[in-house]
Amino acid sequence: MTARLLFLSLLIFSIPAVAAEDAGQIIRAAVDHWRGLSSYSEMTMTIHRPDWERSMTMQAWTKGDERSLVRVLEPRKDRGNATLTDDNTMWSYSPRINRVIKIPSSMMGQSWMGSDFSNRDITRADDIVDQYEHTLLTETEDGEFRVYEIRSVPFEDAAVVWGREELSIRSDHVVLEHRFYDQDGDLVKTLSTLELADLGGRTVARRQRMQKTETPGEWTEIQINDVEYDIDVGDSLFTLSSLRNPRN
Amino acid sequence: MRVLLTLAWRNLWRNQRRTSIMLGAIVVGVWAMIFMNALSQGMVTQMIEDGLSVIPGHVQARHPNYGDDPTVNSLLPDNDSAVSARLAELDAPAWTTRLTVPGVISSERESRGVTLIGVDPARDASLSFLADITIEGRLLDAVDDRGILIGRKLAETLDTELGKRVVIMSQTPDNTIADRGFRVVGVFDAKVELWEETWAITGKQTLQGLLGVPDRVTEAILSGADYRDVSDLAEQMQTAVSTDARVQTWLELDNYLATMLGVMDGFVLIWVVVIFLALSFGLVNTLVMAVFERVREIGLMLSLGMRPSSILGQIMLESMMLLLIGLVIGNLVAWLTIRPLESGIDLSMVAEGMEMMGVASVIYPDLRQEDVILANVVVLVLGFLASLSPAWRASRYDPVEALRKVD
Amino acid sequence: MDIVLRLAWRNLWRQPRRTWLTVGAMVFSNCLLVFMISLQFAIYDLMINNTLRAFSGHLQVQAPGYLDDHRMRQVVDDVIPLAERLRQQLPDADVGARATAFVLASSDDRSYGIAIYGVEPAYEPAVSSIPGLVKQGRYIEAGDEVVVGSVLARNLRVEIGDELTVLGSGRDGSFSAAVLTVVGVFDSGVPDLDRSIAEMPLATFQDVFFMRGSGHHIVVNAPALADVDDMSQRVLPLLPDGVVLPDWDALQPGLQQMIRADMTSAFFTYGILVVLVAFSVLNTQLMSVLERTREFGVVMSLGLSPGRLGRLVLLETLMMGLIGLALGALAGGLLTAWVGSVGFTMPGMEDMAARFNLPARLYPDFTLATLFAGPAVVLLFTLLSAVYPALRLRRLHPVAAMRSA
Repeated sequence: MTARLLFLSLLIFSIPAVAAEDAGQIIRAAVDHWRGLSSYSEMTMTIHRPDWERSMTMQAWTKGDERSLVRVLEPRKDRGNATLTDDNTMWSYSPRINRVIKIPSSMMGQSWMGSDFSNRDITRADDIVDQYEHTLLTETEDGEFRVYEIRSVPFEDAAVVWGREELSIRSDHVVLEHRFYDQDGDLVKTLSTLELADLGGRTVARRQRMQKTETPGEWTEIQINDVEYDIDVGDSLFTLSSLRNPRN
Repeated sequence: MRVLLTLAWRNLWRNQRRTSIMLGAIVVGVWAMIFMNALSQGMVTQMIEDGLSVIPGHVQARHPNYGDDPTVNSLLPDNDSAVSARLAELDAPAWTTRLTVPGVISSERESRGVTLIGVDPARDASLSFLADITIEGRLLDAVDDRGILIGRKLAETLDTELGKRVVIMSQTPDNTIADRGFRVVGVFDAKVELWEETWAITGKQTLQGLLGVPDRVTEAILSGADYRDVSDLAEQMQTAVSTDARVQTWLELDNYLATMLGVMDGFVLIWVVVIFLALSFGLVNTLVMAVFERVREIGLMLSLGMRPSSILGQIMLESMMLLLIGLVIGNLVAWLTIRPLESGIDLSMVAEGMEMMGVASVIYPDLRQEDVILANVVVLVLGFLASLSPAWRASRYDPVEALRKVD
Repeated sequence: MDIVLRLAWRNLWRQPRRTWLTVGAMVFSNCLLVFMISLQFAIYDLMINNTLRAFSGHLQVQAPGYLDDHRMRQVVDDVIPLAERLRQQLPDADVGARATAFVLASSDDRSYGIAIYGVEPAYEPAVSSIPGLVKQGRYIEAGDEVVVGSVLARNLRVEIGDELTVLGSGRDGSFSAAVLTVVGVFDSGVPDLDRSIAEMPLATFQDVFFMRGSGHHIVVNAPALADVDDMSQRVLPLLPDGVVLPDWDALQPGLQQMIRADMTSAFFTYGILVVLVAFSVLNTQLMSVLERTREFGVVMSLGLSPGRLGRLVLLETLMMGLIGLALGALAGGLLTAWVGSVGFTMPGMEDMAARFNLPARLYPDFTLATLFAGPAVVLLFTLLSAVYPALRLRRLHPVAAMRSA
């Protein structure tokens, strides 16, 4: 699935609860811990538009922060469509045409499977660590948890279009909200956690929604139905031949 | 001779009204020749200059495949530093090297395909359209300038502006994606909207770094003093690059422009001749009248022993005098009307149409010496030829017949 | 009146050489005008027709806003049935439905971004010149077939029978891909079209790009350019709500402007020719009036009014002008007809023609308008230039006139 989304949901459990750490450490620790992790999940992506809505069920494997394989299960007409990412590169496979196609750079900005995520969003997962300067804005109490408000500003050369991003992370590492601002400081889109659940032995953001500010009637929701962490995934899963020939 | 001159002059003004009208016709004709040619030459010169600033330069060296596959896979075989050193030794008015590849530019809201151009700002400025754009912000200041220049139109499409960051993505030679953030340091207005839409310009070294191709470029560019004369330049370029690079002149690179140049040279002559022909009927008519009126007088002169050649000479002299006065006034009027227009004739109301023709919407008339000389010479030579017939007839009159003739 | 006519005619031939020279100037200019105007309008017609016939057509049924953005989601619903309905109700129009997507076209080793069009293979030939320009293979019929431009075929290194993978986004933004078989290569001679366009059957397109029966535009071509406004009025009531009908001027705004820019410079040229003829006539008629000062004096002293004499001069000029018009139009017509039969070309025209969607050889044809518009203006200016000499007669004093030599 989308590495970035997974990454964000993974943040939830990966950082040991720390009392007062600075923002960079919170995020960096999360990613350091996450590297080398693997997961398998099943999820449903719902794309909502004012005049229609469609849902797809997918299965996803990840290994580290660079490699992922996503395969569509439902609906029937899309079954078998798959996406493989490795580092910054993305390949697509469609059983309909029985071809593996490497997504050229010119199409990386396009929407991934019709959702509100771009192909780029899917491949660039570790940006949030190296390419930003993080600042802890506030720390508030929320029942038994604390909520950290972190502001992340991309470095000058970062391949990030946003002016800044803001994350609300609970001290049990659930990302409550991730907001993307343009360079005028206007909110462009928000990724918010709608529902938490205990899955795979951890508390995760079960349902998240990506919503663009300018188009209130359009959003994409991802719901994790099932997830397993630290599974044994061979490197051979993340190859072009595996993309073309599903073994399960 | 002096007598002949005086006589011709006097004869010319015997019928002031007729001469003035004829003179008026010549002036209008000459004015039209020169004015129209200055206008069309201005259009073509600009078309070519604009074209050259896009190509850019008069001669280019590239990888032979660049035409079919204008990407980072078709780099110039030579290293940038080696080519630059050799180009610097040539005594050419302007040269530069560039790295030009396709890429994608993204803002917070939009993405667009663009042509990424990595330039050496110091060298490129004199060669390309960078020389005469108006810019909000600044131009690039070094090969490793990390800022980017984009066109006004592109900035609007991307919903971005001066001082904001954009992300540039492009393909590296090993087929992976290279990307980086760039700050927009300049937004330019170009003459042609297409340039504003499709060009993103940054420092050459910056782009080389992004693509992982240090010291490599896609083209070496050389310009001479005159765009019409490029064959020497091509030979010089050949010596500066290795044999597996392809050297092409702008004439080869842009057939349309090369053709326009040829067509325009032809057009100048055709236009002058057509105008002259329309004029010649009046000229011959005037001379025929002038001779006819003086049949008796000519008969008298002939019978007094004047040689026919003197008669011929005198009529010719009259004709040439008329033409010369017409030319002087015509040239002057043309000059006076073109002068105030040299700051440009604005045709922006038909800008899109002009763009289809490859012309910017402001035309600067180009009064070229050759064209003015051509017009004057054509008028004098053809005028001379046209006057021969009536003058010759006059000199052939039989004195007795002529004297008997009553009007 | 009859006698005035005869008088005018006789006066005209008192100085045959002068009259012929003046008429000659008119014939020359008229001939040139007829030829140039015919050629010019032949070029405009071709330019408009080739540009519009090539693809965009006279009118297009579109979703509002599509013209500006060309977004995949701005669709015309049930586009094939709608096109069919238009076809039935407007038997004299050519109608074809299309859909477009910007896709990545890949062969084995290369990829290019192109615009792919879904078209109705049976009706496309009537609304576009591309089907007729297939130089290799054949036009698409149905199924997973595609025709590509010649430059694109060269760049992708594909030939007839090869497979072409297209990759893009569907109407819902989802990932769309298809493997199509190249059945034909078209060569329009327009580099932009040949480099960046491919066509596939609309039904297949709708399937691949999840169009759910929709398309992006329906081309409606009127029988002739002059009928476009009328056709537009007839199409509008047949359209469902929520669609618009831009005409060719809105679809190709540069075209009108280019023609206008070219016309301006052409009319400047014609203007100069006309003015030069007018000078010639002015000179001739002034001379002929001055020559006859004494004669006019006599006639006036016999009671003829200066006004009638003026009319005589104008009548002479009119006769001369009519001869010039007749001969000029004849010569221009013959020249145009001759060039029209062999074709007009000049060095370098091929390159220029390609730029403006024109064939390398032009076959100008004259109409009554192109044949007589130029000469009529010449005639008008001829008459105007005779007004001054005619008016001079009014100032003529019989006695003084008789005395003058």
